Amino acid sequence: MTLIRRALVAVGLAGGIAAVLRLRGTGGTPPQRGGWRELSPDELR
Amino acid sequence: MRVAVVGLGAVGTRAARQLASTDSVTEVVLRDIRSPRVEEVVASLGAKARAERGPYASAVEADVVVVATPAGQQVEMVRTLVGRGTAVVSTSDSVEDVAALLDLGPEADARGVPLVVGAAFSPGLTCVLARFAADQLDTVDEIHVSRLGTGGPACARQHHGSLGGMAIDWRDGGWQRRPAGSGRELSWFPDPIGAADCYRAALPDALLLVPAFQGVGRVTARLAATRRDRLTAPLPMLRRPHPEAGLGAVRVEVRGRAEDGIRVEILGAMDRPGVAGGAVAALAAVELAEGRARRPGAGGLAELVEAKPFLAELGRRGVKVARFG
Repeated sequence: MTLIRRALVAVGLAGGIAAVLRLRGTGGTPPQRGGWRELSPDELR
Repeated sequence: MRVAVVGLGAVGTRAARQLASTDSVTEVVLRDIRSPRVEEVVASLGAKARAERGPYASAVEADVVVVATPAGQQVEMVRTLVGRGTAVVSTSDSVEDVAALLDLGPEADARGVPLVVGAAFSPGLTCVLARFAADQLDTVDEIHVSRLGTGGPACARQHHGSLGGMAIDWRDGGWQRRPAGSGRELSWFPDPIGAADCYRAALPDALLLVPAFQGVGRVTARLAATRRDRLTAPLPMLRRPHPEAGLGAVRVEVRGRAEDGIRVEILGAMDRPGVAGGAVAALAAVELAEGRARRPGAGGLAELVEAKPFLAELGRRGVKVARFG
């Protein structure tokens, strides 16, 4: 019984920590410039 | 000038079409073991095209010969052509073919003829992109090539086989052999292809790039593949390949040093591999026929052509190159 209780607590704690990290890990601004662009004729001259 | 194309698959047919539309080419000689295929392509290309019957192994008379037969069927013919002093463009992307063709370098050099090895989508366009990127840098430390997609059925078989072989990478002055299908890396290809998982595979790019960039520390080549591709790689192909696959892409990342410090140049292209490969092979043949090869002997396009004019002409022929960043 104790083992199960400890396991449940451990799983719950791990889930809580993962949720916090998941939430805090997201966000931020995606890159606003860059990406693929075709080479211009000037670059090939 | 007279240019011959031997092997009329996805790449060879496109190369012949590009050559027929080139003003300086007066005659395009076509050969394939499938007579109906030769007649069909000759009829579609018009007055410049001429059919020539004969097995692949017998040499053909021309100023430059584009050898676009399936992998494993090129070396003997190229050996004969080089022995006769004919300039050759080979499209093979097989490691064994590329190694054997590079071994013909001393003979080609002695006879004063250029032999372009691996002149298609990848290797081929990737070699030119690596040269173009390297030209922006003072020193080149690393080159990483990724490729996605296949051309015709022969290319699809080669793709399948390369995932079951051994990959050859160059690392710190030595060759490293690792199992194909390992080393997953997420590569971002030009739009609309986007991201794809790429793996080590038996690709010949490093064999062509290492001699072209003396002192380079690392050269790797990876191939985009699905889980099913990797799972079935050790088996025979479970179904016949498509006559021609859809869009493909290549990505070349060159790391080195410039005046402003460490720099990474990323170039890519997106097209149908058979179409782009044919354009690259045809343009390489025109460069050789017009005497613009940088030196005689065997090598990849990174060594034998000037990157900027080559890419500019390729762009006029519809194969566009993009830069990331």
